[in-house]
Amino acid sequence: MSGPILEVRNLFKSYDDGRIEALRGVDLSIDAGEFVTISGHSGSGKSTLLHLLGGLDIPSSGSVLFRGALLGSAVNLDTYRSDHVGFVFQAFYLLPTLRAIENVQAPMLAARHHDGDRGQRAATLLREMGMEHRMDQQPSKLSAGERQRVAIARALANDPEILLADEPTGNLDSTNSARIMEILTGIQKSRGMTLIVVTHEDEIARAAPRHIRIHDGRIAS
Amino acid sequence: MAMSLSFTGYVLKNLRRRRLRTILTLSGIGMAVGAFVGLVGFSTAFEQQWMRIYSSSGTDFSVIQGSFLNTTLDDSATAKIRALPMVAQVSPTIFNLMDVTPDVNALVYGWNPNAFEFNSLKILAGQRVRNGQREVMLGDMLAQDLNKKPGDTLELQGTEFKVTAIYHAASTLEAAAIVMPLGQLQQLSGMDGKVSTIDVRLRPAPAGESQETYLKQAQAAIQAAIPGARAVPAAERASSNQFVKLAQTSAWGTSLLALLIGILGIANTMAMSVFERTREIGILRALGWKQWQVLAHIEVEAALLGLGGGMIGIGLGWCALCVLAALPQTASFFVANLQWPLLVKALGIAILAGLIAGALPAWRAGKLSPVDALRCD
Ligand SMILES: Nc1ncnc2c1ncn2[C@@H]1O[C@H](COP(=O)(O)OP(=O)(O)OP(=O)(O)O)[C@@H](O)[C@H]1O
Ligand SMILES: [Mg+2]
Repeated sequence: MSGPILEVRNLFKSYDDGRIEALRGVDLSIDAGEFVTISGHSGSGKSTLLHLLGGLDIPSSGSVLFRGALLGSAVNLDTYRSDHVGFVFQAFYLLPTLRAIENVQAPMLAARHHDGDRGQRAATLLREMGMEHRMDQQPSKLSAGERQRVAIARALANDPEILLADEPTGNLDSTNSARIMEILTGIQKSRGMTLIVVTHEDEIARAAPRHIRIHDGRIAS
Repeated sequence: MAMSLSFTGYVLKNLRRRRLRTILTLSGIGMAVGAFVGLVGFSTAFEQQWMRIYSSSGTDFSVIQGSFLNTTLDDSATAKIRALPMVAQVSPTIFNLMDVTPDVNALVYGWNPNAFEFNSLKILAGQRVRNGQREVMLGDMLAQDLNKKPGDTLELQGTEFKVTAIYHAASTLEAAAIVMPLGQLQQLSGMDGKVSTIDVRLRPAPAGESQETYLKQAQAAIQAAIPGARAVPAAERASSNQFVKLAQTSAWGTSLLALLIGILGIANTMAMSVFERTREIGILRALGWKQWQVLAHIEVEAALLGLGGGMIGIGLGWCALCVLAALPQTASFFVANLQWPLLVKALGIAILAGLIAGALPAWRAGKLSPVDALRCD
């Protein structure tokens, strides 16, 4: 096996000068190519953990290691986000001024890609998501399920090793939820990616080979 | 079909999203740059016309009173300068701005009828003015405006003058002007025994002496002979001319004020834009955009506003110059033309204004923490 791609050691995160402790000592190791779900009550610290795993925020103490290298010192957070992780959010977070195909290209502007490639590459990814007919639409003209498929294509834009999804089906009906989860797990299998999904739906949580429960900022099981 | 998104493409889309605000901001900076192009263009053209006069008359130095308030020299200074060994010719002169008709004002030059300044004029019809006579010569541009020819009379400040000649000159400042004997203009302006400038031509530099040191020596000698006076070399005369100085100072002053307002306009627009787009900036950071890229795209947006405003401003400024060149009050001072240095300066200032205005909002956008920006609703 390829060993852990992410390791978390004694991770603490507090807000408001320590008044709110969102994470209180999390230890975790995730192997490359693993599919992991994280669940827990609202406010238990799921999103906070995902943000720290994705280099969107910095811990109050403790460390996150990407392939053994400390995030924020040995690995630059900007580079880590642009080259190694892709995010999918509950609220899609598409850029409203950009058409679907342009949204997919937005992360490419941060990484080194040949100009000519970008449009082609984005079109290929959208086709993979079954979005070939909606590529030139503005996000506001797309359905919720379609928006999330564009967001997934965008998360894959720079070919990351890790895909982080925070309640990716939270704004979708059951049919669309199933479809999105199918796409995510399909990608994980076909590309051998590491997939971490935060969810509060038991069905989705149990679908993964490994399921982590968070309670009050600590791993419960 | 697969069109590639570019950095500037994204910036332009953001500008197009809030069309009205973009247009208003562009008009603000456009008017500021327009004021700059119009006013500075006017004063530059004005200065160039003076330059032509000085170069066509072959003067080496203009001797003027050094202090700001007292702008006249005593007539006796002429003889003192003429007595200096390196001086070949001296010519005391006065110029003044006078109303010719209620609509038209013109520069009036008082020269001695044998002065070397006449060399720069080409008499088209008639005779040169004579000493002691109430006579004037008219530049062809002014003569055409006033519809006068030799033999006609012209009334200036209640005194009648006979038009003896029509002449042509290279500079509009002379072509749209009046020339009369020095003594007549002294009387007319209440400046008996006074002159405003004494033009000096030097003898050739002695063999073996460099032109530069020779000019320096001559300048020192003249200034020593007339305490309080300044001998201004040919090359500097146009820019040190009082009218030119006044025009330039007010042009730069007014346009800087207008630019300041334009900068505040862009700064306000960019600050609002960053504020409204906080969430989007968080998304960009989550997608891997680096701090400097977020900062740069705000600065590019601000610079584009500046550039667009600059181009609008050049158009407005050109219109203003054309109007000024056509108005009878100002037509005699210059011809409307836009020169590359001015256009480059205008665009440079406009872009710089954008960058300055965008700096603080861009810095704040770059500083936003990705998670906080994402959380903002
Ligand atoms: N920026 C912040 N400032 C203050 N408190 C915060 C901030 N972000 C998160 N918190 C708090 O930290 C705790 C954990 O938040 P987090 O968003 O990780 O929960 P969650 O498990 O994702 O909840 P949900 O299921 O509702 O999304 C909560 O009590 C939350 O209020
Ligand atoms: Mg959450």
